[in-house]
Amino acid sequence: MKRRNFIIRIMTGAGGGLILGLPGISRACTRTKVPPGMVLIPAGEFLMGTTHEQVQKLAAEYGYHPSWLDSESPQRSIDLPAYHIDRYPVTNKQYVEFCRETDYRFPDHWEETGPSEAWLVHPVCHINKEDATAYAEWAGKRLPTEAEWEKAARGTDGRLFPWGDEFDPEACCWNRTGRDGITTDPVDAHPQGASPFGVMDMAGNVFEWCSDGPEDSPLLDRAVKYTAFIKGGAWITTEILDLRSAARGNTGAYMNRLAFYGFRCVKEVL
Amino acid sequence: MMDKIKFVAEKDKMSARIMNVPGFEGDVFELNFPESIGPTNYSRWFDIIQCSWQEHEDSNWSGRGWVEGEIEYTIDVEIHEDYVDFILRLTNKSDETWEETQAFNCVSARYAPSVRDHECKRHWVRTGGVLKTLIELPRVFGPRPALQLYSVESAPEGKNIPFVEAFHSTPEDVAIEGWMAIRARDGKHLLATVSKPALYTFQNREYSCIHSAPTFGALKPGETGTALTRVYFVEATVEEWYNRMKAEFETINPGEL
Repeated sequence: MKRRNFIIRIMTGAGGGLILGLPGISRACTRTKVPPGMVLIPAGEFLMGTTHEQVQKLAAEYGYHPSWLDSESPQRSIDLPAYHIDRYPVTNKQYVEFCRETDYRFPDHWEETGPSEAWLVHPVCHINKEDATAYAEWAGKRLPTEAEWEKAARGTDGRLFPWGDEFDPEACCWNRTGRDGITTDPVDAHPQGASPFGVMDMAGNVFEWCSDGPEDSPLLDRAVKYTAFIKGGAWITTEILDLRSAARGNTGAYMNRLAFYGFRCVKEVL
Repeated sequence: MMDKIKFVAEKDKMSARIMNVPGFEGDVFELNFPESIGPTNYSRWFDIIQCSWQEHEDSNWSGRGWVEGEIEYTIDVEIHEDYVDFILRLTNKSDETWEETQAFNCVSARYAPSVRDHECKRHWVRTGGVLKTLIELPRVFGPRPALQLYSVESAPEGKNIPFVEAFHSTPEDVAIEGWMAIRARDGKHLLATVSKPALYTFQNREYSCIHSAPTFGALKPGETGTALTRVYFVEATVEEWYNRMKAEFETINPGEL
């Protein structure tokens, strides 16, 4: 079949998909079939990170010393090739299928029989980067880089949250009351939280593993790669700043399996 | 009869839990005491050290840890009404002098819903004579951004302590007193950890944990040093607790414990 090039534009909102022949993206892309459950993020530049001015403003507004945010600066334009990303975080239903097929260990909090019916549509959690990577390989995918994750979350215009610059407390699963007793939501519970590309749940619910991390550094006498970026905030998050797409301050050790760590995958555009 | 704080050590591991804390119903506090111990340029971690625990009839505990030919420590755990004392004794079993020593004592609130604070908004410290929340202090984006270490005002700067410097996460332009506290969500209770003598402090957002790391000073081969870490579970404002703690610690001499 003869390959044809089209100018594409991605619809915003949960519908997603390709509208062929419309302007809006400056680069021609090869028409591809979007894998089930994934969204095409078109090639091109996006604004990653946070400007110095935004850091000063946000720090003052929320009572932080600016150094808590300044690793996000300067804001820079990053050019990425096209890729597909999961529309939702990987769910318990998807993860238990992987575990059963590969005899992979269950997350620590699961019963021997796996997650109950009510939890199947929640994001899997208690997952470390190795678990996430193993799943991704099984699924024929990989973990996103921080840049890929951030572009899918905030689009190209440098907005603070997937839905815009103003925080919407209904648009994501977070600990708004600062109290105990809340947990994850079903991954499709907050349609108003869609990113400009129609990617869902990029703020709150579970922090999501990325494939890369801060400069790798041997800590103490253990010369191993210790960290990977973890993005997006989670159900446990009480701080609005940590729900921003550029936030990276929670980045920790790759081996940790915590109740608020999950992931989603990306796949190359062939 | 008033409930008594319950301490339960994990068999053969340098970890324990504290529960049944009056005023902190439903909260469980995880401890890794010590998570690492030894000379600051060659501190040994929990997965290297062998250890054992013993519970006593009065609900207090004691423990011992060792690496043959290198390190030996003992820990005495004393339960009080609203605090727990950990008296650590470190012995240099090597044939080299240790210029500076430490214990990396971890108190985690991740299973303490009334206290945990992954964003550090309710973490309190004191610097330059002023009580402050941790988020008001500078921070360094290191290779593991969720954690941060702080120099202690009366101790060597973090950059001169190899164990601390290795994390690349210590701001140079600030030093704090040798304790950290987390105010509970209700604003009326407080978890705090204090060491004497304190060498540095540490927190990790992933586990909502705080550390006040004691030092045993320089130890020649065969010498033993003693330090105290006290973990408070109090009903008090930060200022009320601070004034009480200062008065209590003025009279404590770890060498006499």
